[in-house]
Amino acid sequence: MVVVVGHKLGVATLLAVVGCYAGRGDLAGGDDEPTAGEDGGDDGDTPAPRACATEGDVYAVRAPLRRLTRLEYNNTVRDLLGDDTFPGNAFPAEEIGNGFGNDADAQSVSSLLAEQYSTVAEDIATRATETPAKLGLLAECAGDVSESTASEVETACAFALIEDLAARAYRRPLRPGEADELLDLQQAIRQEATFAESIAAVVAALLQSPDFLYRVEVGVIDEDGRRRPSGHEMATRLSYLFWGTMPDSDLFAAADSGELVTDEGVRAQAERLLADPRSRTMVRFFFDNLLPISALSALERDETRYPEYTAAIGALMREETQTFLEHEIFEGPGTWPDALTAPYTFVNAELAAYYGIEGVTGEEFRKVDLDTSQRLGLLTQAGVVSGTIHSNETNPVTRGSFVAQKLMCRQIPLPSGDVLAEVKPPDPDSGATARERYAQHSEDPVCAGCHSLMDPIGLAFENYDAIGRWRDTENGVAIDASGQVPGIEGTTTTPIELVQAIAAQPQTHECFAKHWANFAYGQTLGEEAECVTEGLQVQFAEAGYDIQTLLLNLTASDAFLYLPDEAAGGGQ
Amino acid sequence: MRYLAKRTLSRRTMLRGAGGLAIALPWLEIMGEGRTARAGGAATRFVTVYTPGGSVIDNGAGDNRWRPTGTETDFQLSPILAPLEPVKNKLIVVDGLEMRSAVGEQHQAGIIAWLTGTTQAAGGGYAQGPSIDQVIANRIGDGNPIRSLQMAVRWGTGKSHGLLHPINAANYEDNATFDPIPPRLDPQQMFDNLFGTLDPSQAGEAALRIERKKSILDFVDRRFEGLSQTLSAYDKAKIDQHLTKIRELEAALDNMVSSSEICAVPEHVDTSGYNPTTGLDSSDNGSIVDTSTDEAIPIVGRFMIDMLVMALACEITSVASFQWTDTEAKHTFPWLGLDQHHHFYQHDGNFRPVECEQIYTWYSEQHAYLLQSMDEVDLGGHTLLDESVVFFGSELAQPPSHSKANMPFLLAGGGGGMRGGRFLRHEGIADPSHNNLLVSILNLFGDPTDVFGDPAYCSGPIGDLT
Repeated sequence: MVVVVGHKLGVATLLAVVGCYAGRGDLAGGDDEPTAGEDGGDDGDTPAPRACATEGDVYAVRAPLRRLTRLEYNNTVRDLLGDDTFPGNAFPAEEIGNGFGNDADAQSVSSLLAEQYSTVAEDIATRATETPAKLGLLAECAGDVSESTASEVETACAFALIEDLAARAYRRPLRPGEADELLDLQQAIRQEATFAESIAAVVAALLQSPDFLYRVEVGVIDEDGRRRPSGHEMATRLSYLFWGTMPDSDLFAAADSGELVTDEGVRAQAERLLADPRSRTMVRFFFDNLLPISALSALERDETRYPEYTAAIGALMREETQTFLEHEIFEGPGTWPDALTAPYTFVNAELAAYYGIEGVTGEEFRKVDLDTSQRLGLLTQAGVVSGTIHSNETNPVTRGSFVAQKLMCRQIPLPSGDVLAEVKPPDPDSGATARERYAQHSEDPVCAGCHSLMDPIGLAFENYDAIGRWRDTENGVAIDASGQVPGIEGTTTTPIELVQAIAAQPQTHECFAKHWANFAYGQTLGEEAECVTEGLQVQFAEAGYDIQTLLLNLTASDAFLYLPDEAAGGGQ
Repeated sequence: MRYLAKRTLSRRTMLRGAGGLAIALPWLEIMGEGRTARAGGAATRFVTVYTPGGSVIDNGAGDNRWRPTGTETDFQLSPILAPLEPVKNKLIVVDGLEMRSAVGEQHQAGIIAWLTGTTQAAGGGYAQGPSIDQVIANRIGDGNPIRSLQMAVRWGTGKSHGLLHPINAANYEDNATFDPIPPRLDPQQMFDNLFGTLDPSQAGEAALRIERKKSILDFVDRRFEGLSQTLSAYDKAKIDQHLTKIRELEAALDNMVSSSEICAVPEHVDTSGYNPTTGLDSSDNGSIVDTSTDEAIPIVGRFMIDMLVMALACEITSVASFQWTDTEAKHTFPWLGLDQHHHFYQHDGNFRPVECEQIYTWYSEQHAYLLQSMDEVDLGGHTLLDESVVFFGSELAQPPSHSKANMPFLLAGGGGGMRGGRFLRHEGIADPSHNNLLVSILNLFGDPTDVFGDPAYCSGPIGDLT
């Protein structure tokens, strides 16, 4: 197993390529290997499995130490202590890393973070212990402690509280001495403070412990001599992947019973977690980061030109996309190509009126059929086509770039110095339609090299204006929405055809699987993880690109089931 | 002192209510003696101020709207620098240097090189060396509760989506991996963390609380120490880095500063309406506008400057970095009547020299406020500014070309014998690399080095600051 320390930053790979090409992107994510597309000959083919699929080989990828993200911290203190104040929002921002803010290689600890861990933990601890009723939630006996409680009774209660709370905070059974260590702290504080304050100190200490903040994985050796996460470590992997929080009691029980050191046991729990509504939150989080929809309620648009666009409409657009995806994945056909070409969406009365769809009443979102001559699938939803637009004018570059780079994992470099110096967005008066205004991109060979990978996609979406409404003309001139997906033979004539072409491209689905793998494993998977990534991509294709199957397969991959050899270390 | 105690009391009552348990780290104690000014000739405080997008070095009609006219000691400030007139005698306009070490993505390489003098790591990475403020903090930061303070207004715009990224990070740790340092963004959190103090009538309670905090940190320290010994080298480095930061906190509790004639809690400012983490909602192209937050930028900026100056005066820290935003600069300027973002005026919407000049002139006004505030802190015959070195810069010189030549740098203060009131042109010098300026700045702090950053872009101090 060849293992290398990855680059610190995932975005890196998007910016590092020196030239543009029209073939397949390098889906493995390595940035120093010539890209497969340069020969241009295998466009559109599913990649053949390389020398990866040898029976019995384990492709355990790196498992660098992961720290809870702010989202995970918030969820975890909610489930551990009932604190639903989102206290983790006070921490400094994560590094963008793999695009989901959970890239282990990008995480570092600043003075500010350590300071905030301390301050926030003390605030949480104070809240969790401020009344006898709240203390009673930590341990029943603690709610009854009063000044008349005998000291040995109080100490016994403190110990019971610690044994339970620490095990849940550390997400594993306590090791010898760990409870005593906390009791020592509690007793020392108790000398000069109240019982509640001494328990608060314990809570604050737990919340700053590395065992709480980090997902430490020691691993166990299985009967085949391979290293895999222990049952409790696996419970933690599963619960953070599907729910973004600590394990629930069922997972703890499964870990205790030993069922999580078998592939079948992991699968069973993964199925339970995915079926539980709590998984929807993480799926939403994933798409909020993948798609340009997280803040549609604050698009910058001229009020006189677009009086129909309001913050409320923006919020509804986001809800449309999320409701649609949730339905599609959990109740609908559930494949990524289906999501990209679904002939239906979800609207409520207000959004229906915005789209000009008749017959929808009420605030509740409901499923409606689309006029498939104008709309088809996720990429034609108002939020997705307007979220990539900068101002009052549509921009084929930003729309095309989103599809090419984010959805198809093509790496398109930014213009370099001398070219950038010449870059000027076109004057709005330089042409009636965007195709005219952006003509230089296809005419000037300096621009065309890269822009031919983006603009032909973006121009096909010109039937949607800057706030996502359908239009046939721009400034009185009929819109030519012909386009092309780079790497595919031929051209398309409508946005519908383009969306179908994108959905027909295996690269689109390989890219989707790659994003999920990066998100699930908390890193930017590179060359060393190629077999794992390809394995997931091939399985995804074999499953007809079924998204739930992909999510479950994430937990069946060697990257999830195994740890790298001890000699190589957790991070290496 | 009485003044401080009174105001502190009322503020705490207002902010915390009766319980008051949830105190932040109170670096500033009520009791005790103020520190005395440091002796010796070296500079004692270092401040960096970052503004995005350079300046208007060429307005398109051949006019340099930034460069002063005249000679070294007899010069007239340019339109953009005119607001600095009141502090001109403590200002050095450093013209003609080039950020040659800014190799990499245009904006990212610029902000990386500005304080590190290193090129961007391959594959769109971060810096390859520490930033100068961290190296200076190693010399003068020990003994302060906070070794170095990073703060930013309206940060994490555009493509970084509120997260740390080579596009917005200016400060880099002086450790093996040169980790980027996220700035503090929340003015209220900053106020509590820097100046959170207790009701003096409860001084005993305060001491107990500090003791409690020490006990907790001591426990946490041992947990990290124990874990560290079980890990592989890669993970161990992470845990050890975290432990280092915990030890800094522990040391800070032993290094608390006291209020004094020169050190008082700054006026608290209401910043409701300002969302410090609005960057998290940003879009790549700045299409998402948070008007309420953008409108509050001037108020928040001044409040942060007040806190920065007092943090220096109180010796809560000796090294501070202030960013007005990041290189994306994708926020609007409602108070200037500019409803597009800065990057739009720089080049996204064609280069707009008039609007850019408005923005840069406003930054000069704010910089004048900082320098004047520092100059109002009397350390006994001389001012805080006189002991300090304040370095003002950007990631590039001229927005549309992203040129790094003729960087619009300013130095201010009198630390280390620096002489202000000068316009230093470096036209035609053999090596205009700005790494040489970074070396000269280090020299002002008593560091005798003659190389900083990537040696390929460094030939020694520029030598004209003192």
